[in-house]
Amino acid sequence: MTTKSIERFSFAERASHWTSALCFLYAAFTGLALWSPRLFWLSGVFGGGETVRAWHPWGGLFFFLALGVMFRRWARQMQLDEDDQVWLAKSHLYAQHIEAGIPESGRFNAGQKMMFWLQSASAFFLLLSGVVIWFPEFAPRPLRLGAILLHPVCAAVSMGGIMVHFYMSTMAVPGSMGAMVRGTVSAGWARSHHGKWFREMGGR
Amino acid sequence: MTNGWCDIANTDVVLVMGGNPAENHPVGFRFVMEAKRKRKAKLICVDPRFNRTAAVSDSYVPLRAGTDIAFLGGLIHYAISNDLCHMDYVRTHTNAPFLLREDFAFNEGHFSGWNEETKSYDKTSWQYDLDGSGYAKVDATLENPRSVYQSMKRHYSRYTAEKVAEICGCAAEDFTKAAAVICSTGRPGRVGTILYALGWTHHSHSVQLIHTAAMLQLLLGNIGLPGGGVNAQRGHANIQGSTDMGAWNMLPGYLRMPRAHWGSFDAYLKATTPKPLRPNSMNYWGNTPKFATSLMKSYYGAAAKKENGFGYDWLPKLGETENQSWGFFFDRMHRKEMRGFMTFGMNPVANGPNTEKMLESLANLDWLVVVENFETETAAFWNAKKLGEKYYPKFVDPKQIQTEVIVLPAACFAEKDGSFVNSSRWLQWKKAAVPPPGLAKPDQEIIARIFLAVRALYEKEGGKGKDSLMAMEWNYAQPLTPSLEEVAREINGRDVVTGAQLPGFAALKDDGGTSCGNWIYSGSWTEAGNQMARRGQEDPTGLGLFPNYAWSWPANRRILYNRASNDADGKPWSEAHASIRWNGSRWTGDTPDTKADSDPHEYGAFIMLPEGVAKFYTNELVEGPFPEHYEPMESPVKNVLHPNASGNPCAVVMAGSADALGTPDKYPYVAITYRLTEHFHYWTKHIASGSELQSNFFVELPEGLATEKGIKGGDVVRVSSARGSVEGPAMVTRRMRPLTVSGRTVYHVGIPIHWGFVGRVRGPLVNNLTPSVFDPNSGTPEYKGFLVNVEKL
Amino acid sequence: MTVAKLIDTSLCIGCKACEVACQEWNDQEFTLGVFNNTYQTQPDLTSNFWNLIKFNEHVDDGVNSWLMAKYQCMHCADAGCLKACPAPGAIVQLPNGIVDFNQDNCIGCGYCITGCPFDVPRLSSVTKKVYKCSLCSDRVAAGMTPACIRTCPTNCLTFGSRTDMVQLATARTAELKEDGFKDAGIYDGPGVGGTNVLYVLKHASEPEKYGLPKDPRIPWAVSLWKGPLKWVANAAFLGTAVGAMLHYLKFGPKETHDDEIH
Repeated sequence: MTTKSIERFSFAERASHWTSALCFLYAAFTGLALWSPRLFWLSGVFGGGETVRAWHPWGGLFFFLALGVMFRRWARQMQLDEDDQVWLAKSHLYAQHIEAGIPESGRFNAGQKMMFWLQSASAFFLLLSGVVIWFPEFAPRPLRLGAILLHPVCAAVSMGGIMVHFYMSTMAVPGSMGAMVRGTVSAGWARSHHGKWFREMGGR
Repeated sequence: MTNGWCDIANTDVVLVMGGNPAENHPVGFRFVMEAKRKRKAKLICVDPRFNRTAAVSDSYVPLRAGTDIAFLGGLIHYAISNDLCHMDYVRTHTNAPFLLREDFAFNEGHFSGWNEETKSYDKTSWQYDLDGSGYAKVDATLENPRSVYQSMKRHYSRYTAEKVAEICGCAAEDFTKAAAVICSTGRPGRVGTILYALGWTHHSHSVQLIHTAAMLQLLLGNIGLPGGGVNAQRGHANIQGSTDMGAWNMLPGYLRMPRAHWGSFDAYLKATTPKPLRPNSMNYWGNTPKFATSLMKSYYGAAAKKENGFGYDWLPKLGETENQSWGFFFDRMHRKEMRGFMTFGMNPVANGPNTEKMLESLANLDWLVVVENFETETAAFWNAKKLGEKYYPKFVDPKQIQTEVIVLPAACFAEKDGSFVNSSRWLQWKKAAVPPPGLAKPDQEIIARIFLAVRALYEKEGGKGKDSLMAMEWNYAQPLTPSLEEVAREINGRDVVTGAQLPGFAALKDDGGTSCGNWIYSGSWTEAGNQMARRGQEDPTGLGLFPNYAWSWPANRRILYNRASNDADGKPWSEAHASIRWNGSRWTGDTPDTKADSDPHEYGAFIMLPEGVAKFYTNELVEGPFPEHYEPMESPVKNVLHPNASGNPCAVVMAGSADALGTPDKYPYVAITYRLTEHFHYWTKHIASGSELQSNFFVELPEGLATEKGIKGGDVVRVSSARGSVEGPAMVTRRMRPLTVSGRTVYHVGIPIHWGFVGRVRGPLVNNLTPSVFDPNSGTPEYKGFLVNVEKL
Repeated sequence: MTVAKLIDTSLCIGCKACEVACQEWNDQEFTLGVFNNTYQTQPDLTSNFWNLIKFNEHVDDGVNSWLMAKYQCMHCADAGCLKACPAPGAIVQLPNGIVDFNQDNCIGCGYCITGCPFDVPRLSSVTKKVYKCSLCSDRVAAGMTPACIRTCPTNCLTFGSRTDMVQLATARTAELKEDGFKDAGIYDGPGVGGTNVLYVLKHASEPEKYGLPKDPRIPWAVSLWKGPLKWVANAAFLGTAVGAMLHYLKFGPKETHDDEIH
């Protein structure tokens, strides 16, 4: 029965995801404006350089807080188990849609878990370095020098990850977007992509 | 200054002592730096503190405050004993060959003629040995033991390097090294200058101190030469002008004050006009009758006639030995012998010694008029108990003060035209930059309004001295607001018959045909116009004399005694160091300090002195013909040269109820007071930039003393003397070294002035501490080298 | 023509006239000095105090020295502030070499503060803009010398073409060496391509004694940040996007096996 739908993400999960996503996008684009004079034109989109300078840190802070909500909810579920190890070892097969030998995934597959930890770690270091950059007059010089390196490195890693995340959720795995927008997936989708979870939810 | 600011650039050695020009004369200091850069001049700084000047000096020698005569005496001894003197100069241009009387002597700190009871000298034995015609006997060989030279040599033979080190607290080798550089200027072709300021004048032996400096420069042949001289750096833009105009117990142009026992103008002239002591002496002060008569004509105009002694009787007169200088009149005020006091641009509560005595004195007055830019400590003196908080416990409550205080707002220097006379003796005319604010008025208008109102009162009601007031000339176009141009023209002088401006003081007459407000300024505003406003930058001699820039007294002469830069035959000692030259018929170059067409052999080089030559030995000063090291009146040690005559025997030490002196057992440290570059006296604490660049009063303590007392930088300390105290944060510094004096360690405590109990920034008045002790010749207080104690609070 | 200011520290007397002239010309308020056991009553540069004389006190082998040195923007040829600045036109390097801040374009990010090897720019907490010495670019443009130069009483400060200033500094160094200061030399920051503020130091091998950095360079972190890191990150973004595209083209979407569900 293909029409049967299963709740994949609760309202709270979706709300915190999209809040953090919006904050992320804002911080990312305003961050790019501050990243290079060649991208400074982006600041015009967001209200001009001074506005961007003033609000980018707040965007980042809200991103961190929204992500924090997701972190509290999901951190336990995101622990990697033995199957995940195998999954990761064979992720190149997963990318080629070859399913043989790849363990079935739980609610989150090992790739999603890695994405979670990557984004969480990045956000943490972005916040640390971001606060230093936010108040340059109070931070000692070595700290500032570390921060201006750490911040873009984390941002690049985070943004790269999000590009992958975006590709996976929109094009690579149809149905994912619906899961995060409407909160439900079809039983078939659940069984196909998260077999272990599907069974835990009572599916056959 | 004998020379001038620009001229310092011509020197080879700069001795800075008793001054800190990098701190207090930064603009003039550029010429020191120029000499260092362009001539490889050596800068030697001798001071209790390693100060801003020391920071850029080639060598720094520390010394104990108040021991400068010992240091300079040591230099004299060093120059003589090492044969470094310019002996041809000494023979030609000084009184070294003059013979002294047989009864002249110096013993155990006292010269001959000392009277222990009156604490004064009978100067008879100090005269020269005169011949039948009243001229001094001389010995050109300088061999005669009674010659000034031999006497001087004997006198300073005690000032060995070791003795200097023992007295001053410096290392003997540091002294010797500095002496070698300073005395290297004793040969032709090399010239040295001495720069000093209040660090020399603020002592109970200050005039003798400067006398010692002059002696050293004469021995080295450095007086009258470009790059030489003894140069006083004046502390205000126009303090030279006020000195010239007679603010200090003198009449304008350094004419003596009339005294009661000189009953007539003739008697006055006879007493104050010197006679030549050598046949070749021009003795220019012999023209005193011309200067004095012309001054009387400028005071009383047509009313001054030969028959009435040109109005001499109208002048107020001092008693035979009366002194009306600062310390004395405040002492009189303290004894309630004065009723009223007007103070113009002067803040005695802040800048007089022993502040509490100043306050008590003013409280004894019926009325006090303060003419100032700001409300000063003097204007607010009645509220000192409240504003000065803990510092004046004995001072009375405002309610008990009956003094009527009237504050008149005055225009500041930028709000009026007129002239400044700078340290170089240049009269520089300036224009008003902005009009005075509010009700402020220029000084001359304030004076005119008071004068005319008082005169009208006398006319109506009569009174003592009415005739003088009525006779005084006041013929300005606007009597209530005389223009300073009119006043300047009056000072220059005019021919009373033709009304023409005089070309210079040579035109002055003693028959009443000329009037002149100050003979040394004659030539500043001639028929050719205002010479002070000239701004020509030509430099024909290449020595930086700039003869067409402003106007220099006397006679636009830029270097005083310039005749001495040439030998007896009129040949320059050194081609590079002569601002005037004899071309066979005339002196060319700078305005010659002799008659322009007089043969070199006709007159001695020092035309103002009766001797015709410069004086190592002088009988004009109170405490002796040769300077001698005397300890400050409060000193941590006894004078090692003569313990029984430790301090200056003739120093003026007030002995009223407020005039205590401290002893080293209670007050073991030597205090010095000084100025900071950010501030100008007690004025700039009222304005933004100065008060904020240096906002806080502080006390500088040597590291060793601070360690002994457990004081760290920033700790609040109390410095107290026998008179009062100040409190503030300690600046613990290694720039003030402990000195070893007579085998014991002596610490200085440094206290910058500039704060007070009114202003944008406030702090204690340093003069809470200073003693009522004065130099007997000049009346200058001993602000430096007094005793204090330090406690951590 | 590149202009330069020469600071001959051997002639500086610490009179602070340049500090006052700077405040007056730039119409900036004075702030109350602090007491911190030195004659230097302003502890540091601030956003409205751009010209500071540092009073450096030393005692070496019992000999005092009090090295006064004026401290302000060095106007580097390779300006770290400019390199770090993201806002076009906020920091400009004029053809005469002056590195000028244009507060109209400044966004107040403070990156220039981190980029500066001399720790000069200061962020105003009021306007949230960064300020520093402009070498009086306004006066220079009008053919005048900077205010500090104009007021310096001892000729410690001179201003002119950089070539002339280097020549003067070289001559002064030679003079100082002749005077016995063997270590005299020029301090002009070769590590930042040369500065347009030159110093003559008596102790050139120890600029730290004057409060100057020993070997000023744009911090490597800033160079890395604004150099390789930018290109690596840009390449990574591009690579990710291209990789995703190629993946889709080759493998397509991961389908859901609906048919297995009953």
